[in-house]
Amino acid sequence: MNLFSKLKISSREASLAVILFITIGVTGLINPRFLTGDGTKDLLTSTSVVAILAIGITPIVVMRHIDISIASTVGLSAWVIADFCKKNPDFIWWQCFVIGAIIGLAVGVLNGLLVAGLRLPSLVVTLGTLYIVRGAVYVVSNSIDYNAQEMPPSLLALGQKVYFGILPFTFLLVIIAVLATAFFMKYTKSGRDAYAIGSNPPAADLVGLKVFRRTFLAFVFSGFMAGVAGVFYLMRFAQVDSTAFYGQELAVVAAVVIGGVTIMGGSGTVVGAVIGALLVQTIQGGLAALGVDAFWKPAINGLLLIIAIFADRRIAVSSEKRLLAQRIRERV
Amino acid sequence: MAAKGDLLLEMSGVQKRFGGAVALRGTGLKIRAGEIHALLGENGAGKSTMLKILAGVHANDGGSIKLGGKDFVTGSPEASIDQGVAVIYQEPSLFLDLSLAENVFIGRQPKKGVVIDWKFAQSEAAKLFKELGVELDPKRQARGLSIADQQVVEIAKALSMNANIILMDEPTAALSASEVSRLMTVMRSLKSANKAVIFVSHRLDEVFAISDFITVMRDGATVSENPVEKTNLQKVIKEMVGRELNEMFPKTKNKVGEVVLDVHDLTNPAYFRNISFTVKKGEIVALAGLVGSGRSEVARAIFGVDKYESGSVTLNGKDLPKGSPEDAMARKIALVPEDRRQQGLFMIAGVNRNISMESFNKLVDRGLINFKRERALTNTWRDKLSIKFANQADPVDRLSGGNQQKTVLAKWLATDPDLLIVDEPTRGIDVATKAEVHRLVNQAASEGKAVLMISSELPEVLGMADRIIVMREGRQVAELSREEATQEKIIAAATTGKRGA
Repeated sequence: MNLFSKLKISSREASLAVILFITIGVTGLINPRFLTGDGTKDLLTSTSVVAILAIGITPIVVMRHIDISIASTVGLSAWVIADFCKKNPDFIWWQCFVIGAIIGLAVGVLNGLLVAGLRLPSLVVTLGTLYIVRGAVYVVSNSIDYNAQEMPPSLLALGQKVYFGILPFTFLLVIIAVLATAFFMKYTKSGRDAYAIGSNPPAADLVGLKVFRRTFLAFVFSGFMAGVAGVFYLMRFAQVDSTAFYGQELAVVAAVVIGGVTIMGGSGTVVGAVIGALLVQTIQGGLAALGVDAFWKPAINGLLLIIAIFADRRIAVSSEKRLLAQRIRERV
Repeated sequence: MAAKGDLLLEMSGVQKRFGGAVALRGTGLKIRAGEIHALLGENGAGKSTMLKILAGVHANDGGSIKLGGKDFVTGSPEASIDQGVAVIYQEPSLFLDLSLAENVFIGRQPKKGVVIDWKFAQSEAAKLFKELGVELDPKRQARGLSIADQQVVEIAKALSMNANIILMDEPTAALSASEVSRLMTVMRSLKSANKAVIFVSHRLDEVFAISDFITVMRDGATVSENPVEKTNLQKVIKEMVGRELNEMFPKTKNKVGEVVLDVHDLTNPAYFRNISFTVKKGEIVALAGLVGSGRSEVARAIFGVDKYESGSVTLNGKDLPKGSPEDAMARKIALVPEDRRQQGLFMIAGVNRNISMESFNKLVDRGLINFKRERALTNTWRDKLSIKFANQADPVDRLSGGNQQKTVLAKWLATDPDLLIVDEPTRGIDVATKAEVHRLVNQAASEGKAVLMISSELPEVLGMADRIIVMREGRQVAELSREEATQEKIIAAATTGKRGA
């Protein structure tokens, strides 16, 4: 738990983790397969894509911005990588990562310039790039799909690789990313500036924070993570078409918000965001394991989101009351 | 390190234009070390523009600014900080989600290797708070801190930056009397550390109590620069306004009629207990007391914004249901709230929309809004209150503070209320407009309206009210008639709960 206290995992993350373990436990009681190594591995594999994206957009949301172009970027990244692999049969796995990263960085730079440089609202900018990037996938793909036989064996093998019987390679990368990002957000000037910018944007300008640079880099980071998520997507599904990951951006936003990252900026952590992603996946996986029809998935996701925001509101109201009471006491 | 009295910064002939509007037309300001310097002027005189140039928010268009003989670089907040200038804005610009230590060191966090050294930051912040005589917990979140404590954090931030020149924009506007005196102590300690403190204030009594030097601005130019002993209140007011101000408190003797508002034993344990008073037709009753003594909460409870636990509110002899502003408005109560930007106006809506907001019924013609009537209504109130705006549809955001306040007043006066409640009606507006607001409130009373006024400015309370009710920590501690009330008695009651000598 030393690591936990070091990274200042607040009570919000701790209580989320408790809810997560309870959910896993309850599901496991009804369907024991859920608790086996295979069950855990499946959960982690299926969470990886959303989790890596959640880490990517957390700094943006903390800065009171949003990036909804990420799902389109995942689609573009996955399709272009597959296309490269088809044309270069001797490609190996790390080259896929390089291509994904470059595509993601390109989208991130575009978003960053528009939002940070021109100070346009990020919701509208990334809604625009959501359509532009998805449109680009439609155009370049020309309705061509790729399947496992066209992908590098080394990449697919890596997608199957599992450590200690439960930890898939992709989730190992998620863990590394979450630790690095959490450290960065807590202990570096850039990370703290992100919280300040989201907490009070006009004040951030007045105290001379490098708002342009921080905002720009946050979008570049998010784009990069989306590019990497494209590789994760290929590793998991081993096939791609032009509609890959279509419409999934809001699922990522939901996971982040459920994880305690305030949509109004200024608070929340990547650890919370990843736990949020795990929780969403566990509940959905759990319901599937209990035999609930998959058609219920979106409705349940929405319900979770509303419960989470309700809990946040309750916490905010009660802490406000406590602070007020404290002030009244101090004055007397 | 500059010695006391050394010239630190000299501005001369400074100009600033915003589009076609000239904000500064050749202003001068001399700032010396170890000096508390008041910068006075009406709203729109250019004080804020001056501060913003020094803060690096704006660059000047012309003139020279010298800092210790060198040119002062403007146009970048970072450059101003580097040059030793720190600004404390009227609305403290803290990051509420961050800890106090972080707020103090924001942008300049101490590092150990590549990472931030939180322990060091916290102990340094604690040291600064102690120096300022206000021991706040550096690990605490800034959210929930009082305005006064937020200012202390801002001042600690300025000290941690080794600022030699500390600018404060209306630092006392939102403070209670005890908090003001604490701030003055802090200002004096900054002075004795040979820092220069420049502050803007509309509270002239405070200005004369603390400053060493007074610079007065009008219409974007400096009109006088005097050590405090070489000037006086009347002179300063005349310089600010540019003419003799007839009367600050145009009080008339009104015919007092029957009771309009009868508050009986009103209690909401979190804020106030056992409040009982009446306001009659043609009468102005003031609720005095420190900020946080529960005055605004009483007003909000009467108007129905907040609920109360026990007691009753009677209007014109009939009970007023609790917790319903709709009923309060239907029964002809108007509440001009203390925070006009947050509570009184729709800042991005037009002046016309704001003025007609509560007079919907007068505008409606067969179920639809008749805009001709809205225009007529707006013009009527513009003329009555001499509100200055270019276009009816101009967002109130663009008006000066004084004109915004008049707009809120117009909105409520347009409803022709029986009871007018005004909460801090002249906060943050200049002397000339203050006098006008006083005239308007007084006129409302002379027309037979009952007026309940909340104010932290004692001269205003003494000048305007027929009766004064003093509150302290949620309790009603004194009721004084106009004849018996003095500044000392009100302060004594507000701070000790006793009816002073």
